[in-house]
Amino acid sequence: MLAEIKNVSKTYETDSNKISVLDDINFSVEDNDFICIVGPSGCGKSTLLRIIVGLEKPTSGEVFFKGEVISSDNPKVAMVFQNFALFPWLTVQENIELVLESKKQGRELEKTACKYIKAVGLDGFEKVYPRELSGGMKQRVGFARALAVEPVLLCMDEPFSSLDALTSQNLKDELLMLWADANMPPDAVIMVTHNVEEAVYMSNRIIILSPRPGKVVADLKIELERPRNRKDPEFYRWVDKVYSLIV
Amino acid sequence: MIFPKATISEIIGLLEAVNDAGGVEDAARLAGDFDLELDEILPSIDGAELLGFATVTDGNIELTEDARKLLDAGIRERKKIIRDKVAGVEIIKELKNKFMESDEHRIKKEDALGFLQKNISTTDIESYFKIIINWTRHGGLIGYNSDSEEIYLMPGE
Ligand SMILES: Nc1ncnc2c1ncn2[C@@H]1O[C@H](COP(=O)(O)OP(=O)(O)O)[C@@H](O)[C@H]1O
Ligand SMILES: [Mg+2]
Repeated sequence: MLAEIKNVSKTYETDSNKISVLDDINFSVEDNDFICIVGPSGCGKSTLLRIIVGLEKPTSGEVFFKGEVISSDNPKVAMVFQNFALFPWLTVQENIELVLESKKQGRELEKTACKYIKAVGLDGFEKVYPRELSGGMKQRVGFARALAVEPVLLCMDEPFSSLDALTSQNLKDELLMLWADANMPPDAVIMVTHNVEEAVYMSNRIIILSPRPGKVVADLKIELERPRNRKDPEFYRWVDKVYSLIV
Repeated sequence: MIFPKATISEIIGLLEAVNDAGGVEDAARLAGDFDLELDEILPSIDGAELLGFATVTDGNIELTEDARKLLDAGIRERKKIIRDKVAGVEIIKELKNKFMESDEHRIKKEDALGFLQKNISTTDIESYFKIIINWTRHGGLIGYNSDSEEIYLMPGE
């Protein structure tokens, strides 16, 4: 077992009231899991992901990574954000090298950055600033930066939802190619999305959350062969099934 | 001439969708699948055609052999295929020739814009410049340095 989410609940307190956002979430993450967490907007998906990577503390419950309580500086876990979260004053290469600085130096740092720049097809864009990049290229930087730390667990929060429909299609397929490549990290992925087709297309397991406060209402294995075809009737049976479970 | 305002990622996304549909798909239906209007995907269709990845007849988009090669290839091999295709686009060839004539194989963005303006009829030449640089960077052919505002031949050329 790679990670375990155990009895995780989260309540936000504001001056006037308390909002319960997550209610007793339990599941474990195994090697080779590609998990999509789906659920309606506001049900706590992003909150859950931030708790899983240790950026936020649960109100009660715990997240274990390889048996230890997760912390935000765990180098084996990386995150990809919806809005890319790139530093505008750094080039593509510098954005990627930045996350490596605590682990590697000099030639080795450069080599690692270069390897992941190539892996995501960003070669030729090394010296470019984010403002000059299309959304698709920005998110490739997001992927390269996350992969460069060679994480065991990769977490992604709606990584395709800021992209136009065609670019998003292209990036999903490229991400799946990287996932299929045994020489590439990570060992497992957790991806948050509100798009059911996307979840069925990408994942081998879908965890469905209820409206707020988010509870796990289903944990489904998606038994569809890869590469998947969105036009396949079998594909649509799965999509229908997931929709039927969403409240 | 007109030049399609579509990035390489959008064009490949379109090819992937046509491929899912069995290699031929009606343009309007494909737009519908993405919840887009037909005119929102037209630039990508034109781009796919210009790069030799698709043929279009009576609103039907059909993948070419090269498109199939592209889709079967890994991310790194895709770059090589894109490079060959982008290098063959007439206006990009001419742009390249323009700075092969210059001393340091680099030219000012202004001059590149001037050249493009003469060839593409538009009031928004900046966005075409962006698209062309998107294509040539993907192909590893022509880069752009936004500090010095110069375009240059990329290493390996
Ligand atoms: N820091 C915070 N303080 C107070 N409320 C918050 C905070 N972060 C999120 N929330 C609330 O928690 C709920 C779940 O948010 P979120 O996890 O972003 O949902 P999702 O990603 O599923 O759309 C929302 O109602 C949101 O307003
Ligand atoms: Mg969210």
